[in-house]
Amino acid sequence: MKDVLWAQFAKDKRKPLLVLLLIVGSIAATLLFGGGLQSVTTVVIFSEEANAAEIEKKWGGLLNTNDTFTFEVVEPDKAREDIKKGNSDVAVKLMEDDYRLLVSKNMPSVSSVEQHVKKVFLQEAQIRAVESQEGGDVREEIESYLDDPPFQLVAQGLDSEQITAYNIRTQLLFAFTFLISMFLLGFKVNNVTQDKVAGIWDRMILSPLKKTNMYSGYLLYSFLITMFQIVVVLIVFKYVLQYDVGDNLWLIILIAACFTFGMISIAMLITGFVRTPEQFYAIYPSVIPVIPLVSGVYMMPGTITNPVLLFIADLFPLAHAMEAIMSVVFYGTGLQDVLMSLLYMLLIGIVAMGVGINLVERRSN
Amino acid sequence: MLETINLSKSFKGKKVVQDLNLYLADGESVGLLGPNGAGKSTTISMISTLIKPTSGRITMNGVNAIDKPGEIRSVSGVVPQELALYQELSAYENLKFFGSIYKLRGKELAKAIQQALEFVGLDDRKKDLVRTYSGGMKRRLNIAAALLHRPQILILDEPTVGIDPQSRNHILEAVRTLNQQDGTTILYTSHYMEEVEQLCDRLYIMDHGKVIAAGTKEELLRILSTEDKIKVEVNKLDEAFVEQVKTIEGVHKIEVTELQLKIIAAKGSSLISKLVHLTEKHHIQLLNFQTETPSLEDVFLHLTGRTLRD
Repeated sequence: MKDVLWAQFAKDKRKPLLVLLLIVGSIAATLLFGGGLQSVTTVVIFSEEANAAEIEKKWGGLLNTNDTFTFEVVEPDKAREDIKKGNSDVAVKLMEDDYRLLVSKNMPSVSSVEQHVKKVFLQEAQIRAVESQEGGDVREEIESYLDDPPFQLVAQGLDSEQITAYNIRTQLLFAFTFLISMFLLGFKVNNVTQDKVAGIWDRMILSPLKKTNMYSGYLLYSFLITMFQIVVVLIVFKYVLQYDVGDNLWLIILIAACFTFGMISIAMLITGFVRTPEQFYAIYPSVIPVIPLVSGVYMMPGTITNPVLLFIADLFPLAHAMEAIMSVVFYGTGLQDVLMSLLYMLLIGIVAMGVGINLVERRSN
Repeated sequence: MLETINLSKSFKGKKVVQDLNLYLADGESVGLLGPNGAGKSTTISMISTLIKPTSGRITMNGVNAIDKPGEIRSVSGVVPQELALYQELSAYENLKFFGSIYKLRGKELAKAIQQALEFVGLDDRKKDLVRTYSGGMKRRLNIAAALLHRPQILILDEPTVGIDPQSRNHILEAVRTLNQQDGTTILYTSHYMEEVEQLCDRLYIMDHGKVIAAGTKEELLRILSTEDKIKVEVNKLDEAFVEQVKTIEGVHKIEVTELQLKIIAAKGSSLISKLVHLTEKHHIQLLNFQTETPSLEDVFLHLTGRTLRD
């Protein structure tokens, strides 16, 4: 097994570009789509009401209280045109007491915009409700009251430590790291098909090397190189970019290991259906980007409610890995709490690996 | 001794190899000759135990090698038709990997690599990446990878496909040395008649999955011992003339190329006088007339009605 492992490593040592690009890719994707660089996102707002200027001025002031977003007033036609052309991801149509979101593509930032706009409108509705009952201007009073409320809700875990607040950036960090790791492990598992077509696999079969050692060599290498990528990205985000990824890094790595095993098995299953590495390159990259979408890892938890999509998501390790990681990072849960998710991933891995290797062997015969 | 008995292989109901009987005695050099698609590679794959036959037996010193593939695997080296090498690694690294899967370690491995590299003449380029090699050098390295564990039987599947004459000669010379000096048993497949003629003591000629002739070169040539091969050059050719030549008594086959006729006819069929008569009749001038000794290529043509490269 170690001879096969060495050969795979020696190849990557000669051509490390793919591995390096994928590591850089996961960091860049997280920073780009998760707003990791703390850049301010501009969101256009407009109104088509009779007193549009007044509405835009009022809500513009209220919305522009968040450091992450700048809400900018534009002409309705321009806002719609930008959405149509895909120049803007989201625009907010303002009404007297309501709003509508115009979305061109379902980017992760859209959820954050929606979250903020909803919060502002809800708060304003509450203030109006109080004003209508009490009469007079109570805004300042309420705002100062809210700054130092008599009752404060503090969520605590069982160990009496304060629960970390949900953070879409942290979720996206894991989502993109796992997405890119799926590509890396897939390309490495495809080495089995590549070496079969090249005749190297046959040379190994004729040698005293056992088949279990051959498979183990390829799969263990895929596992190790993928874990290397995940761990490097996590370390960069935790210690260099100061992302909050929780305190239990070892448990996160264990979850990532189970996820990697599960996905390697899925890649092996796909290998069982293809004859050439080129077929794998055509099928695998088409399937992989769909998994995070179905699993809802780019969205706020609970966004996907369709039972069919939820069922499909459960068939892949990603949904289980994200669920486990989110509970470890945000709620500080331990091994026992995420054990079911780990077992699901291992089960998926064992079944997919069994079927995959069986298909590969049948094809060889 | 390695032997196959009524070996057959079918893929999706189509018989690719049919009732193949073949034997390889220790130290022998045996050629498996046939055009592309004749079933040579499938035969090699079955003999080297890579694929299981649909029916028939393979024995190695009397032991059934289908049930116990280790019997053949432990003593054989296989040079596949494809370049089974890691292009991203150097020649040395490739051989280190292929040697280590045969459990060679340390000094033993280093010595085996050095010998193999020297044997195929790649010692001075051992640190270069395989992808920078010429086609011929890759073919030589492909052979070296099969020699590391010093196999008693070397099975080569068209090892000279698509390479320059210099590398081809190098490979042929290397195989001859292995057979004659080291006593390695050789099973060599090719569709190049001249390679097999040069290297092999015995030949099996395959076509459409069947062995259509087997024996030493002399035995095979004897198939044509009752025939003459005559080459005729004329100043012009017309169809009527060719048709009339075909009707001459004793003529078995005619191959026409531009202004040349290759005629295979029964010995003593007084062909010459009849040909002269025909050329006069058709006002054709006879430029050259030559009787040739039949080659194995002619034997193949005689047996199948087509050339090896058809």
